[in-house]
Amino acid sequence: MTGTRPQGSPDMQNHVEQAAQAGQLVVQPRMGMSDPRSMAEGLAAVAAARARTLATLTIDSYTRVEDIAGAREALEAGRALNGFPLVNHGPHITAQVVRAAGGVPVQVRHGSARPAHIFEAMVAAGLSASEGGPVSYCLPYSRLPLAEAVPAWTDATQQLAEQAADHGMRAHLETFGGCMLGQMCPPSLLVAISVLEALFFARNGVSSVSLSYAQQTNAVQDIEALAALHHLAELFLPADVARHVVLYTYMGVYPSTEAGAELLLDSSAQIAVRGGAQRLIVKTVAEAHRIPTVAENVAALERAARVSRQALHDDCPLPWARQVDYETVYSEALRLITAVLDHGSDIGPGLRAAFASGVLDVPFCLHRDNAGAARGAIADDGRLVWADTGAMPLPAAGATRHAVTSSRLLGMLRYTADAHDRSAALLSRARAQVTAAHRIAVVGSGPRGLAVVERLVARLREETPERAVEIVLIDKDQVGAGRIGRTDQNPEFRRTPACGEGTMFSGPADDGPARAGAGPSLGQWWAATEDPCYPGPNAYAPRALYGAYLRFFLQAVQDSLPARATLRRHTGHVTGMQRVGEAWQLRCADGELITADRVVLATGHPVTQLSADQTRFADFAVARPHLRYIRGDSAADMPLERIAPGARVAVLGMGLTFYDIVAALTTGRGGRFHEGPDKALRYVPSGLEPVLVAGSRSGVPLPARGLNQKGPLWRYTARLFTPERITALRAPGRPLDFRERIWPWLHAEMQLVYYATAVRARLGERVEREFLARAAALVEHAGAGTAEQTIRAAAAELGVDGLDPLDVEHLARPFAGRRFPSPDAFTAALTRLIDDDLAHAGQGNFHGPRKAALDVLRDVRGTIRRAVDFDGLTAASHRDDFLGWFAPLSSFLAAGPPAQRLRQTRALLEAGVLRVAGPSAEFAADEDGGGFTVRSAQGAGSLHRCEALIDARIPAPDLDRDTAPLTRHLRASGLWTPWTNDRGDGGPLTGGVATTAVPYRPVTAAGTPAEGVYVLGIPCEGQRWFMQVGSARPGPWTDFTKDADAIAQDALTAPARPAAHRRLEGTRA
Amino acid sequence: MSPIQSRPKRILLSTVSSDSHTWNLVFLQLLLQESGYEVTNLGPCVPDAELIEQVRVQRPDAVVISSVNGHGHLDGRRLIRKLRADSDPALSTVPVMIGGKLGIQGAGQPHLADELVAEGFDAVFTDGADPAEFGTALRRMTAHRPEITGAAA
Repeated sequence: MTGTRPQGSPDMQNHVEQAAQAGQLVVQPRMGMSDPRSMAEGLAAVAAARARTLATLTIDSYTRVEDIAGAREALEAGRALNGFPLVNHGPHITAQVVRAAGGVPVQVRHGSARPAHIFEAMVAAGLSASEGGPVSYCLPYSRLPLAEAVPAWTDATQQLAEQAADHGMRAHLETFGGCMLGQMCPPSLLVAISVLEALFFARNGVSSVSLSYAQQTNAVQDIEALAALHHLAELFLPADVARHVVLYTYMGVYPSTEAGAELLLDSSAQIAVRGGAQRLIVKTVAEAHRIPTVAENVAALERAARVSRQALHDDCPLPWARQVDYETVYSEALRLITAVLDHGSDIGPGLRAAFASGVLDVPFCLHRDNAGAARGAIADDGRLVWADTGAMPLPAAGATRHAVTSSRLLGMLRYTADAHDRSAALLSRARAQVTAAHRIAVVGSGPRGLAVVERLVARLREETPERAVEIVLIDKDQVGAGRIGRTDQNPEFRRTPACGEGTMFSGPADDGPARAGAGPSLGQWWAATEDPCYPGPNAYAPRALYGAYLRFFLQAVQDSLPARATLRRHTGHVTGMQRVGEAWQLRCADGELITADRVVLATGHPVTQLSADQTRFADFAVARPHLRYIRGDSAADMPLERIAPGARVAVLGMGLTFYDIVAALTTGRGGRFHEGPDKALRYVPSGLEPVLVAGSRSGVPLPARGLNQKGPLWRYTARLFTPERITALRAPGRPLDFRERIWPWLHAEMQLVYYATAVRARLGERVEREFLARAAALVEHAGAGTAEQTIRAAAAELGVDGLDPLDVEHLARPFAGRRFPSPDAFTAALTRLIDDDLAHAGQGNFHGPRKAALDVLRDVRGTIRRAVDFDGLTAASHRDDFLGWFAPLSSFLAAGPPAQRLRQTRALLEAGVLRVAGPSAEFAADEDGGGFTVRSAQGAGSLHRCEALIDARIPAPDLDRDTAPLTRHLRASGLWTPWTNDRGDGGPLTGGVATTAVPYRPVTAAGTPAEGVYVLGIPCEGQRWFMQVGSARPGPWTDFTKDADAIAQDALTAPARPAAHRRLEGTRA
Repeated sequence: MSPIQSRPKRILLSTVSSDSHTWNLVFLQLLLQESGYEVTNLGPCVPDAELIEQVRVQRPDAVVISSVNGHGHLDGRRLIRKLRADSDPALSTVPVMIGGKLGIQGAGQPHLADELVAEGFDAVFTDGADPAEFGTALRRMTAHRPEITGAAA
């Protein structure tokens, strides 16, 4: 028999064996919902848990007792059942539900004393794994006599084995016999019944079984029991029966505190690993109070998986199965098994006879077929022993014999719960007294928050902290990807830069596993996924793929946590924070409170209130049901599906978001590009596209980035616009004028690269080096103001002439001052411009003079920051020169989508799916026409009427227009204040959050830094420039990593406690 | 103490039809035995008909019903109506008490207790009741039972 099959749930035994070979414990929840969708979601959540899981489908109690009509009535009345009504839902729906578990096998759990109907229904749905037993599902829960349950199980087991085989599957049954009554049954009887039921399954044709055992009152005794179970299974089960051992987390009265419950779960995971079980069925912290939620189940699975990994290490206090003396439980169980088998080869009648004669007697079991003379008790050392063995062939209870009174029984039933609640209380008190953990909360799990977490963990790995460190990473959308990178978005949405140029790890990958401090770049990771479509390191990755990379990154960081450090992921929307003693208390929207000593605020892109113009557009559309207005945001957050096929859609802005929107509405709707023999693309529409009419100030879609010819580790060394020069320009009390003092040197640097690239192309690298040195010296001498002429002349001396001048302002506004007599004339001009841009892009960003020169803008961003950040410019120059002129110019010329996007844009223009209104585009709400209009002030006949308007610009951060409850709270409470530049003329200029220099603490309304709080990324835009960077570069650290590391370093430093105010005798105040 | 009083009182211990819990029944059996009662424990998930039949045959001095699954008030009401409506006076007059977690709302549902008493229970103990009261009530309920039952009648 083979474990592979054409369809249905994967083979359970194979799954467990594969995990065991990888050294991993399989963990499994209990879970059953009546609604197929909820059940599917539960299975999917179990499959997606960060653990090697097995999924569970538990049926409801009507189906358990064959009351199919009762289940149907409840379903029809809309009442929720306490499990999945397998028979009523039928094979089709059940198979669909099970598919949600993906590659994770699903086991059906039921509790039925007569399970034939359940087995039949599950096989029909492609399921082959279940559990139970003729004894274990009869005695404790059913009033059915063994005389009926045993034959019923015999028939059902044989039928399951045959029907599963008919469907190409291998039936698997797990004994429930190791769990009799949940508690107070001494281990030898549990082991015996488990082995007997496994033997019963094997004799009735099932060749794949698991043997259960439930955690009892003493961990070492439980490991002895597991050792005996392995040994006896080996002894009695035929060699051709595949098997494994499963442990159940304690099934009796559960600890009432969360910490006590966690401790008990931890203990079971350790027992499972040390005792050699390959699977663990977990319980949750909610167990004492109510049915657990899916999230609580997943948390328990992940916790058990984590503890099980740690239990492999030598510091686990429990012995291995090979180290314990299991003679007592082994010999007792052996006697019981032999006594049953003595009744003959047919094991069913043997079991019945054994109970009838009291040879098997389950303590405290009230079933009429159980003798009821045996008693279990908890000895002083916590071991579960016999208080009375009744008629069983076991040594008399002897010295350990205790009368079981009602009050003693209560104590025994509560023994495990109370012991763990007590230990947890002691432990937490001890921790609180000696080593209260240092708690660091990171709000926002986009790239900035994740980078801080990585540096925290990397630093903790280098130096073990004195106190335990608890990191909690909070995100309101998806912990590990954030809103912008969430993994369920349209794959058309791309991110810059090229995948080979982005990494989240603060060091390169090495031979070891990916971990905090060392791991692959996005490109390396993408290549390693063996995606057959991996296009190479120069490609631009879908943002959803980047989200998946971020999640991989976070998991690698989490897996590399050193001892004494923990990382908790919390999905929640932080809406406020306040000082409580020396700590901060974060408040979530659902009422959850999180206390932390340090708080890193990395909340990312804001959702801002609409401006007056935007509000007018929005109101205009709201009042007219046939119109749509879509506000500026990440394209993934736009309701683009509401745009109807054929609708005319005005698109405001032609930056990176514009490309995402266009892709979503064209190829995202089934359109395709084909490359013609002339290498040009042709667009084949699907018919579902709208007609797009775009416009912007320049009238030009963002030009392409040059073909990347620089390796990921390439770094530019400036010759004129050097960090030293710019740092020297800044002097206390002398704010700079950007255009006058900074731009000339930056412009000179671009001219230098422009001509040097041309020189290299014609005369080679040696001449280029000489040219660079000579031209730079000439500019130093003559001044930056005349740099263009100086450098051009120097190139001409080498015979490099005829090159078009590099006119940066013209490149940014190529249509400035031009008028177009007709839309066709404009489109022709635009097409020529795109062709020209594509030609330059094709020459590359190292060998092509134009794109190489424009790449300087990216390469020297850090130096530009040195001039601008923390009020380097006068308010007037900052607003007018920098934010008003340079910043848009720089993002237009240097942000650059891949050339492919421009080729596609050209094809869409040709196909008429995309039109560009022209430069100086004006968008309006036309009251009379009842729609939106877009027209170019520079083009005749450029007016278009549209039913929809999409704002394709990412809103700039603005503290006072941010709608996030947390921002409003921080602003209102004075913890955040807006940055203000009022230096020199023209002030004040305001923007994002005001912070100190490294490590970027917010400056409060009192003018002092907020102790223990840090702000990073987009909220700081204003005081610092270009905060939207979403990854580091491989190689030497960029500001992205340096900032994260500075915050991590400070957050890990114990607070400097102010010296107590002490006054020496005799001194005066 | 007269010899006739030494006959132990007989208690029929049970739960309701939908309740599969057993540890409460095990505990009560021990508690009642320690107080000198003779106990027949019917175990979990007892159908109404079986409980009624056992009362008819055994003629206990009292019936003690324990339920912890939250359906005790529903199943208990149905059961006591059947008992009290029976034509056999041994069934319509037998003292019956019910206790445990009777509703799904947790402790403190005095109206449930009042309703159940009105339906015919002699005593109702909701979650959190004083265990000492349980003993007192049971003694009171069984005290006036005939010293010699008419078992053969």
